Amino acid sequence: MFRHTALRYAALGLLASAAVFQAFTADYFGLEILTEILILAMLVLALDMVAGFGGMVSLGHGALMGVGAYGYALLSTMGGLAPPVAMVGAVLVSGAAAWVIGAICARSHGIYFIMATLAFGQMAYSYVFEAPIFGGDDGLGGIVRPDLGAVGMDLNDSRTFVLFCLAALALVYAAAVVILQSGLGRSMTGVMHNEQRMRALGLTVWRVKADVFGLSGMIAGLSGVLAAQHILYISPGLLSWTVSGEALVVVILGGLGTLVGPLVGAAAFVVLKHEISALTTYWHLVVGVILIAVVMSRANGIFGWIEARSAQWGARRSADPLHISQTEEARSDA
Amino acid sequence: MAIDLGFWTLQALNALQLSMLLFLLSIGLTVIFGLMHFVNLAHGALYALGAYFAAWLAAYGGFWLAFLLAPVAVAGVGVLLYSGLIKRMRKSGPMAQVLVTFGLIFALLDLTRIFWGDLPQVLDAPAMLDGRLAFFGIEYPTYRVFIIVLGLVVLAALAFVLGRTQIGAMIRAGVDNDAMAACLGINVEKLFFVVFCVGCALAGLAGAVAAPLLSVTPEMGLQILIPTLIVIVIGGLGSLKGAIAGSLIYGVVQTFGAVLAPQLASVLIYALLAAVLVIKPTGLFPAKG
Amino acid sequence: MLETRNLDKRFGAVHVTRDVSIKLERGERRVILGPNGAGKTTLFNQLVGELTPDKGSVHLAGVDVTDLPVAKRTRQGLSRSYQKNTLFDGLTVAENLGLAAAIHTSNATRIWSDSLARPEVQEIVQDVANQVQVLPYLQARVSEISYGVRRQLEVGVALATRPKVLLMDEPTSGVGPEMAKGFHRLLNDLPRDLTVLIIEHDMDLAFDVADTITVLNYGEVVFDGQPEAARGSKLLKEIYLGSWEDA
Repeated sequence: MFRHTALRYAALGLLASAAVFQAFTADYFGLEILTEILILAMLVLALDMVAGFGGMVSLGHGALMGVGAYGYALLSTMGGLAPPVAMVGAVLVSGAAAWVIGAICARSHGIYFIMATLAFGQMAYSYVFEAPIFGGDDGLGGIVRPDLGAVGMDLNDSRTFVLFCLAALALVYAAAVVILQSGLGRSMTGVMHNEQRMRALGLTVWRVKADVFGLSGMIAGLSGVLAAQHILYISPGLLSWTVSGEALVVVILGGLGTLVGPLVGAAAFVVLKHEISALTTYWHLVVGVILIAVVMSRANGIFGWIEARSAQWGARRSADPLHISQTEEARSDA
Repeated sequence: MAIDLGFWTLQALNALQLSMLLFLLSIGLTVIFGLMHFVNLAHGALYALGAYFAAWLAAYGGFWLAFLLAPVAVAGVGVLLYSGLIKRMRKSGPMAQVLVTFGLIFALLDLTRIFWGDLPQVLDAPAMLDGRLAFFGIEYPTYRVFIIVLGLVVLAALAFVLGRTQIGAMIRAGVDNDAMAACLGINVEKLFFVVFCVGCALAGLAGAVAAPLLSVTPEMGLQILIPTLIVIVIGGLGSLKGAIAGSLIYGVVQTFGAVLAPQLASVLIYALLAAVLVIKPTGLFPAKG
Repeated sequence: MLETRNLDKRFGAVHVTRDVSIKLERGERRVILGPNGAGKTTLFNQLVGELTPDKGSVHLAGVDVTDLPVAKRTRQGLSRSYQKNTLFDGLTVAENLGLAAAIHTSNATRIWSDSLARPEVQEIVQDVANQVQVLPYLQARVSEISYGVRRQLEVGVALATRPKVLLMDEPTSGVGPEMAKGFHRLLNDLPRDLTVLIIEHDMDLAFDVADTITVLNYGEVVFDGQPEAARGSKLLKEIYLGSWEDA
C-alpha cells in the first residue's frame, strides 16, 4: 500500500523545485521539453496507479490519453463548448471509457489482461483512424487553449502553459495519493496481493477494478487534453499502442508501484530522448538496451533502486528493522 | 452468379493466405508460451529479420537459397537470444519478460536500420511462382497459392510431430505440466531451447515468404505483432488447435470484413477479440483448463 | 443456520461429494472429520461458493444461497479461513484485518477517505487482533511473523468480516501442540451465538470443542452425531485411524 517515506517526499520536493526553476528560467526549447515531461508524467502516474498498485498492466492507456485529446478537440471545436467545459467533458468521457474497459477486462489476468487492454486500445485507434469525424490520418487542428484572461494569465504563452500543466500535475498527484490511500485504493491493492481472499471477504472485485481503472482513465484523459492543448493539433498516432508501450517502459524505468518513480522516469526518458536523438538517429536502440539492462538487473527501476540502496544504507547504519521493512515494502508493492 | 462465386472464392483464398502466414508466426509464439510461459513480443521483430535476411541472401543466391537459409539464420539469432537473455529470464515474472522482449523490439528495429538502412528492401518471387494459376474459373497468383500450400504443409508436419512423435509427446507433457515432465526425466531446458529455436525459424520462414508480398521495412515486425497476438489470444495460448482456429478466424474476419463492412473492418477484429475475452477469458482452445 | 441438502459434486470420474445433507443450528460447533481426500475442503468450497455443486443446495439462515457468488455469501454472514494461509503477504497484520473489516463496514469502496483510519474499522481490527492474539504484531508485515501467528491471523481475517457462520479449514494444520491448545481456547472464547464448522485432523481438539461431529469418507457422510457416540464408533476408527496409519 502506498506510503510517503522521507525519501519520497525528498524526491518530490527535488522534482517540484527543478520543474518550477526550469519553468521560470528555461528558453523556449527547454519549456517545450518540460511540457512534454509534465504531460508524460501525468500519463505514467495514471498507469502506475493501476499497474503498480492493482496489478493491472495496461497497454491501453495511450488510447485513453487519445480519447481525452480527441474528446477535447471535438467538444471544443465542433461541439462548440467553452474550453474548460470541454476539458471536463473529455476527462469524463475517457473515464467512462476506461471504466467500461476495466469492467470487461476484470476477469482477465496477467498476459490476458495486457492483451485485452491492448485490443481495446487498438480498437479505438482503428476507429479514430477510419472515421471521418476524427479527420482520419490527417488528424484534427484548430484546437485552442482555455482562456484564463480573467485571472490575468495567458495560456498561449508557453511559460504560463508550463505552469498550468505543472499545477494540473500537482493536483493529479495529490488526487492519486488520496485515491490509493482510500478504501477503494486499499481494496485494489488487496486484490493485487490476493484476489481470491478479497472475494472471499465479501468484496465485489470487478467493481473495484473498474472504478480504479476509470479514475486512472480520467487522469490519462486529462494528460491527453493537455497534450492536445500543447501541440494544438492531434493525429491518430496519439492512440497507437506504442504510446502505451512507451508509458509502460517509463513506469518500469522509474520504479513500478512507487508513484514517485514514474515521475523520475518521465523526466529521465524525455531528457534522454532529446539528448540521444541529438547524437544519433538510433535512439530506440539505446532505449531498448537500457530497458533490457534495467529489467535484467532486477532493480525496481531508477527510483526503486535508490529506495533499496538507501534502505540498505540505513539498515547498516542503525541495524533498525524498520528500514529493512521499507525495502520489502517497495518490493511487495511492486 | 458465376462471377459472384468467383469473387467469393477469391476472397476465401485471400483469407486463407493471410491465415497461413499468421499461422506460421503464431504457432511458434504460442508453443513457446505454452511451454515456457514466456511471451516473446520480439517474435514480430524476428519475422522482420527473416524478411531482411531473405532479401539479402536472395541478392546472392536467388529466392530459393533465401527461402532455405533465412529461417536458419533467424534460428541462429534465436540461439543467441536464448542463451544471452531468455534463459536468464525464465524465472522472472511475465511482466519482466514482456518488458525485456519489448526492449528487444526497440533494439532489433534500430539494428535492422543500421545494417540495411531506412529504404525498403525488395525481394522478388521466383520466376516459377510469378504467374497466375487458373482454377474453378478464377485466376489466382501462383505465389499466394504457394504460401497457402506451405502453410498447410507446415501445419501437417507440426500436427504430426506434436501428435505422433516422442518429442511431440514430450512437448505436450511440458505444456501440460513442466515440473511433472522434468520429474519424468525429460530434459526440459533442452526442450525449451529446441522449441524456441524452431519457433524462431518459423517466424523467419514467415518473414521470408511474406517479403515478396510486401516491401521489407523495419516496421513490418511491429505491424504483424498485433495480429499475431490477437490470433493466439483468441485461439488460446499454448495450443496448436488454438493457433489454427485463431489464424483462420483472423484471416476470415479481416478479409471478409473489408469486403462486407469496409467502415467497420478494422474495428471488427478487435471487437471480436474483446468478445472472446469476455466470454472465455483464456481463449477458445487454451492448452490448459 | 447453515444447511446443505443433497449436495453432490463430481470431478470427472471422481465423486467428491455424495448426497451430503448436514444442518447446523445457530451457535452450534461442528467438527468435520475424515481422511485425506474425503472431500472436506471440496465441501467447504461449495458452502462458500468457490465451487458450484452439480446437484443440491446450500441454505444460509433459511435462505437458498446456492446461486449466490462468493462475495455475496460472505456479506450475508458466511466466512471461511483456509487450510493453506491465504493472507496478504506484503501487508501488515493490521492491514490484513483492516481490509476485511473495511468490506464488512462498507468502507472498502470509498474514494476519498481512508478505510483503515475509520473508527469502526479500527474497532474491529483491535477486537479481532485481541481474539486471535496477534495484538503485539499489528504493525509487522505478514512476511515477518512466524507460521503459527500466521495461522492465527488466517482465522482472524475470516473473523474480521463479523460472520454469523465461520468455516475453519484445519486451523491447527502445521502448528505444534502448544499452539493447538491456544486454538482450543480461541474457539471456546468465540461468541456463543457464532455458528462454527471446523475441518480438523487433531482428534483431541475435535472432541474437545465439538457439539456435533460429521465424518466424511469418499465424499459421503458416514457418521453424523454426538462426539460421545463417535468416540466409540468402530466405523470411525476404521476409516479415520486406518488412513491415519497409512499416512
